[in-house]
Amino acid sequence: MTDVADGIGLEQTRALEERYLMRTYKRAPVDFVRGEGALLWDADGKQYLDFLTGISVCSVGHCHPDVVKAVREQAKHLIHVSNLFYTEPMARLAERLSESSLGGRVFFANSGTEANECAIKIARKHAHARGVAAPEIVSFESDFHGRSYGALSATPGLAANEALGPMLPGFRSVPRDDPAAMRAAVGASTAAVLVEPIQGEAGVFPIADEVLLAARQACDAAGALLIFDEIQTGIGRTGSLWAYEQTPVRPDVITSAKALGGGFPIGACITSPLAAEVLEPGDHGSTFAGGPVATAAALAVLDVIDDPALLRHVRELGAYLRESLQALEGVRQTRGRGLMVGVGLEEGVDAAAVGADLLGRGLVVNVPRLDTLRLLPPLVIDSDHVDRAVELIGESLLGFRGS
Amino acid sequence: MSPAGNPRDFNRQQRALRATTAERLEAIVEAAERAAEGVIDDAEAQARRYLAQAQAEADRLTQDRTAELSDLIDTLLGQALSLRREAESLQATLEEARARIDGQPASADEPAPVEVEEPEELDEPEVPVTPRLRAVVFEEAPLAEEGGRRSDAAGARLLATQMAISGSSREEIAHRLRNGFEIEDTDAILDAILGPEES
Repeated sequence: MTDVADGIGLEQTRALEERYLMRTYKRAPVDFVRGEGALLWDADGKQYLDFLTGISVCSVGHCHPDVVKAVREQAKHLIHVSNLFYTEPMARLAERLSESSLGGRVFFANSGTEANECAIKIARKHAHARGVAAPEIVSFESDFHGRSYGALSATPGLAANEALGPMLPGFRSVPRDDPAAMRAAVGASTAAVLVEPIQGEAGVFPIADEVLLAARQACDAAGALLIFDEIQTGIGRTGSLWAYEQTPVRPDVITSAKALGGGFPIGACITSPLAAEVLEPGDHGSTFAGGPVATAAALAVLDVIDDPALLRHVRELGAYLRESLQALEGVRQTRGRGLMVGVGLEEGVDAAAVGADLLGRGLVVNVPRLDTLRLLPPLVIDSDHVDRAVELIGESLLGFRGS
Repeated sequence: MSPAGNPRDFNRQQRALRATTAERLEAIVEAAERAAEGVIDDAEAQARRYLAQAQAEADRLTQDRTAELSDLIDTLLGQALSLRREAESLQATLEEARARIDGQPASADEPAPVEVEEPEELDEPEVPVTPRLRAVVFEEAPLAEEGGRRSDAAGARLLATQMAISGSSREEIAHRLRNGFEIEDTDAILDAILGPEES
């Protein structure tokens, strides 16, 4: 058997991929084989500082010992029985998620997109109960909610791909910075406003308070639900357990995934009491969701992250990171909250080229748009990690200015 | 003939001696009995004293403990009342914020509840469950067009409340209020939620 820590090497792995995997991803030329805290190692033994964490998944750092222990212990006793039976880790995690947020009920899923599917179902059924025959869901033009057909239909940028059509009916979008457009879009047939409080895939754009207030106000007037997609922003990423805690509104439903499992696939749709009783037996389900191992991992993650001292650390270190980045030549602006940071580069600087160069220098970042780097480091990093990342970005930008 | 002389005298003497011995023994026994009674009385008296002392000590300890418990209960009741006041204040703030956002009473904004039946079995149904929902006539509620200064103020209070609950510092909340709502003097909101700043 191949040693996981050594691997078969990049070239052989790439050859297997070329032959057998669908061509849905354009991967960076690195074959990672090991991770610990904020660090990754490739098959050649090269070390990387990870400021992406698998797109905001490994927020507790790679292979956090508490998560590893929880997974290992649970896997020794019970891995799966389905949702036809009770399992304690699922019930305990539901309690913890509900009590830490909106106070209603939880539906577990296997991913963020599935959590959003649940939220869309809740919204539509809630609207039918109001007598709405053709319920509509409003989102922002540059939102990202997932790739299954319901979530995809609420993701205008991807839904425009006609080759995948038709999308589901009953979705419309408005600009993210226009409160009047939001008010105008919500009416009698609106089932929900489904938005990211800080857009992630779009390039890290916090939604203005006045737009969120307009959405809340319009939903309340229409009897619609306000749904926050907290798949990327939740679980401490912005310096509070949930991003909505730093906004002037309280949503009716939130969806979570990514960092919730510390690397283990899990999603959750969490309601307020208002929406807690909408779904009934037969309305929704999942074979794997809420399984003992995934929920045990999530409980271990929350033990680490739901800590006021850690969340304060995230806010303070995030401010330090943005301040340090802002001082670099080639950085036009920084956006975000906590350790969810978008770095807008000066005009003419190719972010994709910078991202590739940084990977070569041993720093893993993401490039969500042509002029932006996205930084999503582990929440457990320290100022030395930040200093090193900023130093590498600064060095890289020096070589690309005016290119 | 006895060596003592006249046998009659000897017998008399013997009887007298026996009588005297018996009397003396009787006296000794009586004295011993009296002494024993005295010892018992003393012991009983001592025991009563001990009991009385123990009872008094127990009463004192009970009184002390009762007083301590009473103080503790008073403290806990005080804390509970304080918590209740804080919770009521928080709830009032949230309801006020929500009502202002709605432009109508907080209790009137929720749509009619969905009627739900308890699940009867664990098995996943093979056929779709017919929705058991009560249709509600939708009434178009007026949307606040003014962008609402009152809504903004309520939003600012809700923002500050949520940030305070999530552990943000006074400075962090003030920063967000200044940036998000352009509120320069944040003390009024912060004092209402966090209490006056200690000098």
